[in-house]
Amino acid sequence: MKKITVLISLIVMVAIVLTACGGNASKPKDMLAQINSRGYVIVSTDPNYAPQSSLNTQGKRPSTTKCPSDTLTTAEMQGFDVDVAAEIGKRLGVETCFATPSWDMITAGSWADKWDVSVGSMTITNTRAKMLAFTEPYYYYFAVVAIKINSGINTLADLSGKALCVAASTTYEDWLNGKLDLPAADTFAQPPANVTEVPLDTDQECAQSIKSGRTDFIGYVTANTVVDANIAAGFPVVQLDGPVYRESLAAAVDKSSSLPIDSFVSELNTIITAMHSDGTLTNLSMIWYQIDMTQAPK
Amino acid sequence: MSAPSSTMAAPKSQADLIYELQVRAKRRFSIGVIISWIVMLAFLAFLFSGVRISLGSFSFKTIHLDQAFIRENIPFIARGVWVTIGISALSILLATILALLAALGRLSKFPPIYALCTFYVSLIRGTPLYLQIFFFFLALPQVGIILPGLWAGVIALGLNYGAYMSEIFRAGLSSVGKGQREAALAIGMTPGQTMSRIVIPQALRFAIPPTGNEFIAMLKDSALVSATGFVHELMWRATKVGRAQFHNLEALITAAVFYWVMTLVFSYFQNRLEARMSRGER
Repeated sequence: MKKITVLISLIVMVAIVLTACGGNASKPKDMLAQINSRGYVIVSTDPNYAPQSSLNTQGKRPSTTKCPSDTLTTAEMQGFDVDVAAEIGKRLGVETCFATPSWDMITAGSWADKWDVSVGSMTITNTRAKMLAFTEPYYYYFAVVAIKINSGINTLADLSGKALCVAASTTYEDWLNGKLDLPAADTFAQPPANVTEVPLDTDQECAQSIKSGRTDFIGYVTANTVVDANIAAGFPVVQLDGPVYRESLAAAVDKSSSLPIDSFVSELNTIITAMHSDGTLTNLSMIWYQIDMTQAPK
Repeated sequence: MSAPSSTMAAPKSQADLIYELQVRAKRRFSIGVIISWIVMLAFLAFLFSGVRISLGSFSFKTIHLDQAFIRENIPFIARGVWVTIGISALSILLATILALLAALGRLSKFPPIYALCTFYVSLIRGTPLYLQIFFFFLALPQVGIILPGLWAGVIALGLNYGAYMSEIFRAGLSSVGKGQREAALAIGMTPGQTMSRIVIPQALRFAIPPTGNEFIAMLKDSALVSATGFVHELMWRATKVGRAQFHNLEALITAAVFYWVMTLVFSYFQNRLEARMSRGER
C-alpha cells in the first residue's frame, strides 16, 4: 500500500509539472520576435472603465482567433484603449488579445510573461518607470476631484477634515498621499491637508458608494473622463474646481520580462508616433470622448 | 354487512388508520413548507421591487434595481455559469484524488509519508483560500511554471478542498471495521489488496455524499478565482459589467440568483445521491 501511495503521488506530481511546462519548447530571441512568431500580442487593460475599456457583452468570440482561452478578443471588448490596442496589433501585423488582470497587478510590474504590454491609460510616473518601460504618451487627461452634490464644499481647502475615496494603486492615491512624482509643470494643485483616504478596488466603487447613499467619504479623485461618464449616468456628483494634475498616458512593457523588450518598445514608439501624426488617435479620441485629448501640452 | 360503504373491503385495521393519519400529516407538513417558501420568496422579491410605501407619516422604501440593465446583461453573465461549474468539477476531481491520497498517507507507518500528509493539510488549512489562489497565480511563474488562469485556479481550489476533504476520507476509512481488514488478511490478501478491494470501496460509500456537499460549497468559493482576472466565470462577468455600466448591485444580485439556482439544482441531486448511497444501511 505504501508503494502504491508513493507511486500515485509521484505520478500526479509529474503530470502536473508536465502539463504546466508543455509548450515551452524553443525560446525566441526577444519579445518582438516571439509576438511575431506566435501571431498575436497580449494586451492588458482593465475592463472596469467605460469609455476607456469595458466588455462588449454582445460581442462574439471569432472561431478563427489565435488568442489563448483565458484572454479576450477585440470583438469581446470595447473602448478607446481597446481600439488603440487593436490598431497597434494591426500595425504590428498580429492579432490583438486582451488579458484582464486587476489594475494593481498591472502597475506592480513582474507580469511573469502573462501578457506583453499594457494599453490601459496608465499615467507615466517615476515610481512605475522603475518596473515598467513606458512608450510615448498616446493621450492625456486630467485628474479631478468629484464630490457629492449639495455638500457645501466649494474649494479644495474645504475638504480639510473630510474623507476622499480613491482606487488602490492609482496616481490618485499617490496624489492624495503627497507621493505623486510627476513633473512640476503637470501638477496644478496640492492635495488638501488633513484628508482621510479610503482606498477601494476601483474608482467605480467610489462613485457607486456615493450613489447608493453611503457616507464613508464625501468625494473621490479620478480622471475627468470617469467623472464625466458618472455624471452622464445620472450620479449625484459634481467636479470640484479645476483639474489637480495632468496625466500623460502611455503603453507600458514589463522590464522583468524573460525576453529582451528593447526592440518591442521601440517598435511600439514608432507605431504610436505614426498614429499621432496620421490622425488615427485624434479620430479615436473624437469617437470615444467627443474631444481631441491626444495633443501634447504646449 | 349493513354498512352503506360502496367498497367491499374489510374495515380498516387500527394500524392502517394510524398509517393513513401519518401520511396525511406528512403531506400537510410538506404543503405547509412549500407555501411558506413561496411566501418568503415573494417577500424577498418585494424587498427588491423598488416600491415606495407611505402610510401617513410612515414611509418605507424597498431596494430599487434597474430591470432594463439586468435584462440586457443576463445572457452575458449567464455564460459564466458553465465556467463556474467547469472549474468546480475539475477542482473537486483534483481535491478527491488529493484527499484520498492524504487520508491513505495518514494511515502510513512510514514517517516521511505521514509527515507529508499532515504538513500539507496543516499548511493549506492554516492559510486563506484567497491567498492560495494568488500564490499559484503569482509565485509559480518565478520557477518557470506559467499556468493559464483556469489551471492556477483549479490547482488552488483542488489543493484547498483536498486538505479539508482528507478528513472526510479519513473518517470514511476508519469507519470500515477492523474485522474487515483482519478477514481480508486471513484469506491471504496483501495489504494493498485489502485496501483497494475491501476498505476503499466501503469507505467511498461513506465519503461520497459529503463530497457532493463540498462540491456545492466549491461552486460558491470558485468566485474567489475571479480575483486574478484570468478566469471569466460568473462572478468576474458580474463585477466587470457592473462596474463599467455603473450597476454593481444589479450585476451582483443577478450573479447571486444564478449561484442560488445552481445550488438548488445540485442540492437536489446531492439529496438523491445521499438517499441512494444509504439504501444499504438499516
